[in-house]
Amino acid sequence: MSLAVRRAKDYTVKVVSTAFAVVALFLLAWILFTLVQKGLPALNLNVFTRMTLPPGHEGGLLNAIVGSLIQIGLAMLIGTPIGLLAGTFLAENGKTSKLGHIARFVNDILLSAPSILVGLFVYAFLVNPFGGFSGWAGSVALAILVIPVIVRTTEDMLNLVPIGLREAAYALGAPQWKVVMMVTWRAARAGIMTGILLSIARAAGETAPLLFTSLGNNSWSTDLSRPMASLPIAIYQYAGSPFDDWVALAWAGALLITVSVLLLNIISRLVLAKTG
Amino acid sequence: MTSAVDPTFNIASSVAAKPDAVQAPTKVKVEGLNFYYGQNHALKNINFEIPEKRVTAMIGPSGCGKSTLLRVFNRMYDLYPGQRAEGQVLFDGVNIVGKELDPTIVRTRIGMVFQKPTPFPMSIYDNIAFGVRLHENLSKSKMDERVESCLRKAAIWDEAKDRLHTSALGLSGGQQQRLCIARTIAVQPEVILLDEPTSALDPISTSKIEDLIDELKQDFTIVIVTHNMQQAARCADITAFFYLGELVEVAPSDVIFTNPRQIKTRDYITGRFG
Repeated sequence: MSLAVRRAKDYTVKVVSTAFAVVALFLLAWILFTLVQKGLPALNLNVFTRMTLPPGHEGGLLNAIVGSLIQIGLAMLIGTPIGLLAGTFLAENGKTSKLGHIARFVNDILLSAPSILVGLFVYAFLVNPFGGFSGWAGSVALAILVIPVIVRTTEDMLNLVPIGLREAAYALGAPQWKVVMMVTWRAARAGIMTGILLSIARAAGETAPLLFTSLGNNSWSTDLSRPMASLPIAIYQYAGSPFDDWVALAWAGALLITVSVLLLNIISRLVLAKTG
Repeated sequence: MTSAVDPTFNIASSVAAKPDAVQAPTKVKVEGLNFYYGQNHALKNINFEIPEKRVTAMIGPSGCGKSTLLRVFNRMYDLYPGQRAEGQVLFDGVNIVGKELDPTIVRTRIGMVFQKPTPFPMSIYDNIAFGVRLHENLSKSKMDERVESCLRKAAIWDEAKDRLHTSALGLSGGQQQRLCIARTIAVQPEVILLDEPTSALDPISTSKIEDLIDELKQDFTIVIVTHNMQQAARCADITAFFYLGELVEVAPSDVIFTNPRQIKTRDYITGRFG
């Protein structure tokens, strides 16, 4: 093959891959642009200070914002330790064991399971038997969505830690739990944190699992045993409504979720880069 | 073919006379040791004694089993299912290969430094303190003393003293390896295993580590695996030559490198194969 042909091939691949990268970025930028264009004008103080109200009453999203924060927070409290420890088991002990193979397989299925199924599952186990929709049920549904993401990223990130680093810690006479907690987790912490943040982003945007679990609530409530409002459900209700002020609020809510997730990612990256 | 060594072969000139090499008491005694990676029989009936407070080198071509033997001495193979040792390795008379002995106890008394420097992702100070905290509960000032004395012994104190609390990952490769040696010393083992400790380092760092090995044998029994025969000749009191999972010959280094008994050994050290 002549050099000219090779150069031409190299050039073609470069151009095509750059073009597709630009297309992907363009779509993303377009979404963000639309979101800012429609959401920003609707974003005012009322959004953060007033409850969801009937159309024409200048309502806000306060109850939905607080409800989302509570449910995501609780979901992370439940899901992070489970996901972290399960992922650690898979990476450190479950490579060859039967339990490890089964757990990894189930986790992969859970990872790609439609979120509405998770909602139905929680409905059957936590809503129906306990007499109604609740913030608890919503949090558990989100936790179930978050766990497989954390398990997978934790396992992958721990697998990237060189075996030599573990051996060096064992060579000092460290028991396994100390090797894991003091050395491998630490070596993989940036990646593990990224996985946890990704899962927060996933939980923050989910609507389907909340429809059957925490339902939504148009008045102020922080009682986890009662139905609870959330941003995705408010967006879902408002965006499909015929009222202009509700539709505008839906855009504001969508912008809010997106910007929060973006900020969370940027801040954590900065923090992790500093602590190295 | 005669059994005399080629007279032009001159590694011998770098070998210091070490008349006391074999007079030291035995620290580790290997008896009828066989080792398997699954079906693969990697070490075949090894019998071998390691003298106390001497440097013992294990040489041989890749895959000869020398690193495998080193990893038996601190039970590193225990981490991997499918690897097993049969026979005895007596450490001060106690069989350390037996299942009944907790490998963490063995590893506390027989430390190891690896081929690639493996600093933990923490500060220089914490790299040293990590191992110490596993076994001892020292006050802050005692810990400071321990960290300093180990860094001094490993000849890295001057380079590290002003940055003790910065990440160890910022050190150069040679400095990292000396830190790993300091970290191993800090646990106060009796034996230190070195698995090709300089093969990833530049010549200056290598010579620093070799000087260090000479210092360390005052306090520790040292076993070093190396691909570098000059290094074995320079550092080791005793050298063992392994080939295809068997111990071919073990003798004081000056003997091995000037007048080996086995043709195989001579061929290897004169560079005919390997």
